[in-house]
Amino acid sequence: MTFRQTMAVLGGSVPASVAAVVVFLLLYAWPAIRLNGFGFLVRNTWNLGSLYAEPVRHSGVLILPGAQYGILFLIVGTLLSTAIAMALAVPVGVGAAAFLAEILPPGPRLWLSFLVEMLAAIPSVVFGLWGYAVLIPFLGQYVFPVMSRLLGWIPWLGEPTGSGYGLLTAGLVLSLMIVPLIASILRDAIAAQPMEVREAAAALGATRFETIWTVILPGLRPVLIGACILAMGRALGETMAVLMVSGNALNVLPVSIYAPVSTMAAFIVSQLDSALQDPTGLAVRALAEVALALCLIAIIVNTAARALLAGSAVTARLRR
Amino acid sequence: MAPSSLDERAREAGEIQRRRLIRRRRIVSGIGWALCGTALALLCISIVWIIGLVVVRGVAALRPSLFTTVTQGTGGGLLNAIEGTAVMAVGTLLLVVPFGLSAGIYVAEFPSSRWAKVIRFLADVLVGLPSIVLGYFGYVTMVEGLGWQFSVAAASITLAIISLPYVSRATEVALAEVPQELREAAYAMGAGTGTVTLRICMRLALPAVITGVLLALSVSVGETAPLLYTAGWSNYAWDGRLTGSPIGYLTYVIWAFINEPFASAHALAYAAAFLVTTFVLLISVASRLILIRRRR
Amino acid sequence: MPLITNKSPVLAAAAAVGLVTALAAGARATETRILETGSSLLYPLFNIWVPVYAKSHPVQITTQSTGSGTGISEAISGLAQIGASDAYLSPAIHQQHPNMLNIPLAISSQMVNYNLPGLNGEHLKLSGPVLAGIYEGKISHWDDPQIAKLNPGVKLPHQAIIPVHRTDGSGDTFILTQFLSDSTPEWAATHGYGTTISWPAVSGEIGAVGNQGMVSAVQQNPYSIAYIGISYKGATDQDKLGEAELQNKAGNFVLPDNQTVQAAAAAAAGQTPKDESMSLIFQPGAHSYPIINYEYAIVNTALPAQTATAVRDFLGWTIQSKGGNAPEFMKKVDFVPLPAAIRRLSEDQIKAIGPQRSASNP
Repeated sequence: MTFRQTMAVLGGSVPASVAAVVVFLLLYAWPAIRLNGFGFLVRNTWNLGSLYAEPVRHSGVLILPGAQYGILFLIVGTLLSTAIAMALAVPVGVGAAAFLAEILPPGPRLWLSFLVEMLAAIPSVVFGLWGYAVLIPFLGQYVFPVMSRLLGWIPWLGEPTGSGYGLLTAGLVLSLMIVPLIASILRDAIAAQPMEVREAAAALGATRFETIWTVILPGLRPVLIGACILAMGRALGETMAVLMVSGNALNVLPVSIYAPVSTMAAFIVSQLDSALQDPTGLAVRALAEVALALCLIAIIVNTAARALLAGSAVTARLRR
Repeated sequence: MAPSSLDERAREAGEIQRRRLIRRRRIVSGIGWALCGTALALLCISIVWIIGLVVVRGVAALRPSLFTTVTQGTGGGLLNAIEGTAVMAVGTLLLVVPFGLSAGIYVAEFPSSRWAKVIRFLADVLVGLPSIVLGYFGYVTMVEGLGWQFSVAAASITLAIISLPYVSRATEVALAEVPQELREAAYAMGAGTGTVTLRICMRLALPAVITGVLLALSVSVGETAPLLYTAGWSNYAWDGRLTGSPIGYLTYVIWAFINEPFASAHALAYAAAFLVTTFVLLISVASRLILIRRRR
Repeated sequence: MPLITNKSPVLAAAAAVGLVTALAAGARATETRILETGSSLLYPLFNIWVPVYAKSHPVQITTQSTGSGTGISEAISGLAQIGASDAYLSPAIHQQHPNMLNIPLAISSQMVNYNLPGLNGEHLKLSGPVLAGIYEGKISHWDDPQIAKLNPGVKLPHQAIIPVHRTDGSGDTFILTQFLSDSTPEWAATHGYGTTISWPAVSGEIGAVGNQGMVSAVQQNPYSIAYIGISYKGATDQDKLGEAELQNKAGNFVLPDNQTVQAAAAAAAGQTPKDESMSLIFQPGAHSYPIINYEYAIVNTALPAQTATAVRDFLGWTIQSKGGNAPEFMKKVDFVPLPAAIRRLSEDQIKAIGPQRSASNP
């Protein structure tokens, strides 16, 4: 085999992996997909059924009595926690990127950029550990009560504040995990802008801040959106950190920002063991359906991000 | 002729207004930078807080016996976990390097072919797949389907799939930066594609490729969710079997032991977190240094 | 001198492979390995048993706390050799997997703990119907008339109750929901029992993982209530959490201690069938504690010979009154040893593990 052929075959491991995962999930989840139908996405009940009762036949499939699968609370939990993470991460990321690129001299810029990137390297479970051990007590005992007292008149921000496990905490931890992505992409993009733009703006009397805010950043809108969507893709798939701080709600939609939630990724981890007890095997297939849904969302989001970022010199820097 | 007092006053008023406007813009800009600085400060405080927690409590839990005894229930040491992480890291790298490098080489050297475009697109897709999805896949296909049970093989293959796109992308980018003239000169001297790529281009691209491999290493050491369902857990050192035998790993200790109501368990969890975080950060530093030195 | 040369990757790879080969070669593949996984209620006891047993027997037993549901499913699929479970196997599983055994190793019980600032020292009186109401959300505040009726004279706060339940497949959920089903017909009709059930949506309720998670959840949330296995009494006492007195079938309010658990166990011992799948919940008797259960080892009789011998020997040791059922172990987790009749049934089941000796296969 020629060199090119060898590389093609070995390199085919990438398409093979993706195809294997998607096809496998589809085939494995098919019985559940057929049984649950579209209601899967709008029903709010995840019920394995009576594990200790006799399985019954339902549309030709053996299921436990009372079994019903719906993941509305998961979809809501995933979307809300990601939305909060983005709402926190985008301003902080953009602000930090601008400060790093424009204000800091080269020495501190290097060190602080590196510090921010270190945040990206920390494993998810360590974020979960920190969240569980210090952030939750800190938020639950000090921050949330103050917050609900000051801002309690806004719906969704009032009492009860719970113990610290919940939507806001999960969003906060997620935002810390995705901020480096936004900040580093944007910092490089800002720094890559030609000096002529800055000189022109200065000649017109703009301050440095105004240059960034009104000239450079608007020009970088596609890059920013692309980076945000990439960050969103990462947030949607985060597992361990969210699992340890979100409170693991089951079949309930959050009623306030402090309420416990569940996300799809964390749900798979926490429910796989339970699902394995189902003698009919339907529960594991329903979980595979959740995994498939997560997979599809991740694919769509990431493809959109890459499309938006394609062609920009920043793409080459995207190693994560 | 001397300017009229009306003109003078108008000019003065305009001057004052302009100065006020400039001052307000300066104030707004100052506030803007202050906010940006606050954003950066918040980030820095967060990372110092997280690393600080891990270092302070982790170092407090370090003792020599951690590295020489295995985990016993909720106490003991981390020998089995450290060894397990090392074994799985090596297994992952052995799998991911040949396949990832090949994918990256193919995309970089034959970019116009359809297959290269497919590989590049699907590598981006693979990067975005949540690791738990891949872990679930590994569980049903390898652990249960192939009957391997909790095993080094299932875990390494799953981790290799997860880190494949990082190696592939890093290789592709590294090779793309090698100047085309170098390749043309090599071809002109009669070298075949294999020689050109592997012996000439890779020599230049090696540092950047290594950062990709280091990233794969960092992934295999830091992942938890997929390992929960492919590697299982073992309180003992590795018994040399690739299938049929579960194995320990550091991230399990962090996840499972922090919840236990025993101080010995918490100590193990923080010690494990310290080891994992230190290792991953060292890799990050090493990658940085490699890239900096290369640019010189 | 550059750290990264052309030969560095090759050297690194060679070193790594060398390391792994050395580890593999030095690995002791001679001793049998057993993975025990499952019930977090039984986990502390296994952690006490294994070091003592391993001192005099050549076997390596890994313990894991993953919940009874996982114990059952991993024992069935062969991922674990011993599945620990507070719940016996369901009839459907018995039918699908006829070679699975559930073997009682000890008798344990379950507490109902709560966190009421100022009231944790007193033992609130609660009943099955009241607990059912709490977990359904119908009883939403601590000063609800139904709770007040059982606790005259206690100043209950007007605070919302935060019910905590298990999210993993849990034997503790199994025994609590059996108690709720047996004591409250309406719960039996709507929710039933199981290692996992579809918990009614109650605002503010918290999901916890494992008994250890339940302890943390109650400790961190004032006005919460949870069901926690007795082997975590040390932790709940240390956190100064309240423990409820539950109303038994005879109408009396009792705490789980040796006397009340043994009274309930004695009532049921005679009726335990040969496969030992039996609920000990809500037993009659003036002093019986209502939530007690057999702690099961879920084992596949079709284990390979060497592993089967190791499992048989270990389980055989755990049920001996001089072995695992000795007071020194039982006291540490507040369990009760098996009555003699049950021990005999367990011994019979243990004999069935692994290839059987017969006339044609001595």
